[in-house]
Amino acid sequence: MIPVSHVPLIISMSPLSNFSCSMKKKIGIIGLGNPLRADDGIGLLLLQYLQEHKKKLSKNIEFIDGGTSGMSLLHLLEQYNSVFLLDAVDFKGTPGEIKKFTIEEIKNQKIQFFLSTHEPDILTVFSLLKELDKAPTHLLIFGVQPKDISYRIGLSKEVHRVLPILQKKILKEIQSIIKS
Amino acid sequence: MSKDFSVHVEHVTRVEGHGNIILDVKNGRIENLQWNVVEAPRFFEAMLRGQHYNELRPITSRICGICSIGHSLASLKATEDALGVKITNQTATLRRLAIHAENMQSHILHIGYLVAPDLLGAGSVFSLLGKHSDTVLKVVKLHRLANEMSDLICGRTIHPIRLVVGGFSLLPTEKQLNQLKQRLFEAQELTNELASIIQSVAGNLPSFTRETEYIGLTSDKEYSLYDGDITSTDTGRHPSYRDYKEIMQEFFVPHSTAKYAKHARDSYMVGALARFNLNSHQLHPVAQEVASLLKLKAISYNPFMNTIAQLVEFSHSIQDSITLIESLVDQGMKQEKPVKPVKKAGRGVGIVEVPRGILVHDYTLNSQGYCTKANCIIPTNQNHANIQKDMEKLVPEIIDRPEKEIELTLEMLVRAYDPCISCSTHYLDVSFV
Repeated sequence: MIPVSHVPLIISMSPLSNFSCSMKKKIGIIGLGNPLRADDGIGLLLLQYLQEHKKKLSKNIEFIDGGTSGMSLLHLLEQYNSVFLLDAVDFKGTPGEIKKFTIEEIKNQKIQFFLSTHEPDILTVFSLLKELDKAPTHLLIFGVQPKDISYRIGLSKEVHRVLPILQKKILKEIQSIIKS
Repeated sequence: MSKDFSVHVEHVTRVEGHGNIILDVKNGRIENLQWNVVEAPRFFEAMLRGQHYNELRPITSRICGICSIGHSLASLKATEDALGVKITNQTATLRRLAIHAENMQSHILHIGYLVAPDLLGAGSVFSLLGKHSDTVLKVVKLHRLANEMSDLICGRTIHPIRLVVGGFSLLPTEKQLNQLKQRLFEAQELTNELASIIQSVAGNLPSFTRETEYIGLTSDKEYSLYDGDITSTDTGRHPSYRDYKEIMQEFFVPHSTAKYAKHARDSYMVGALARFNLNSHQLHPVAQEVASLLKLKAISYNPFMNTIAQLVEFSHSIQDSITLIESLVDQGMKQEKPVKPVKKAGRGVGIVEVPRGILVHDYTLNSQGYCTKANCIIPTNQNHANIQKDMEKLVPEIIDRPEKEIELTLEMLVRAYDPCISCSTHYLDVSFV
């Protein structure tokens, strides 16, 4: 494996001043994706890292492996006031690039979420929750650009190389958001 | 009526496989009519080869976000069959609860989010909000309960973690089971209300029929979901489960990369309607009342009634779960450890009923306990040929109707089968070419 420090890495994290976590209710960190589809499993690997470092985060956080939840995500999301979703997202970036989005930001963009093999995407689920008045107040998506989502176990070389950086970056970001 | 038109329902999925409806009509004659699907279950089989038996269940639970409990149970049954593991009665009862949870999750999702818009004249579940918000809320509540039941028994809403070779890694308490039982009682009331709503619009289901073969598990003891013998409405019961390939004869067709299947005829159907046709006499009386309300009687040859059979099964799953919980609590929950394998090598076959029909896992393990060969037969592949045959009978019967109606009816037919290909809801996104 090429040392991480030798890998060109693009991490674009635009400031999101309108996102902050209310501590009134639980915070959920939900990893999504399918580990049998190469880079689609990235969300679960990031989740695992955060769970292993939960002492560095708020006690008020729950960690959920949402897999390919589809419509069941409805009932996961409704439990939390603030949600961080970790997922592979095709935003036409460089493999391994990470971006964060609010729901509002992705509404008008053609972004492919590798959420489920069966059911509506995250926008549909969130919109339904809104209509039912059960949506979390805050939802932030950390999306990693995949290189390969074919049927195999294990990340692509490109995403695997930057995984340690992505893990640390997300931990720092979430720490910072929760503090604010 | 002489007319030219084409219905090309292109279903380019987001990530996994796709299914298309292709209909070309010239001078009122059908020139081309195909249901074609691209799926890739064979890749999962390749992933299983070389894996230790303890890894087979976790891997297969990721094949599907809806049938993850069913894949887990088929996988465990195959592994335990290969390794000579005899599970306890308590484990078997808890696994039956797990399969009920999945049946409820999947059925209510299909009935409430995917088919209800057709019946209530809406384009999607969003269009139901407002005029039919109360119905949507009932569906959401029932779906939530099914998810929570899965959480309790399996440790997660989907992709279970507590189901392990030989038993459970963590058991629910009697208190938790009693709480679930109370929730299930309440759910039956909601289900009855939903059945009444569906009954009021059931006339919107096409009255199409086509005689075909139905295949499912049957047992003398129960309405089979977790265990039973492979049974056909044409040829009866086949107790030799290891010879499942004699029944499920898979084949390829030129217009699809997915495997199709047949047995005594050109096609057969699996799923809720097949199970109902084979085993309706074993349904709980409350579920039989729902069937009666919705005018579903065995044998029904109308594939559109599969959704109704799902609602009947939903009710059965509620009632049978209550009975299973009572038996567990009456006997007292024992803190059992998973039963250990008595050998490492062998071939094992696991067959369960999942929401869409019979699911088979077949593994061969070597002397170190590693998988050297795997075969999975999923329900949707078994239904493809039947969908094709239904279309071939259905289209001539409706060919004089408006094109939009033909298009919708064909989509409704596909939806009735609740196919487990990627994003079946995308069949809504169609246009005439």
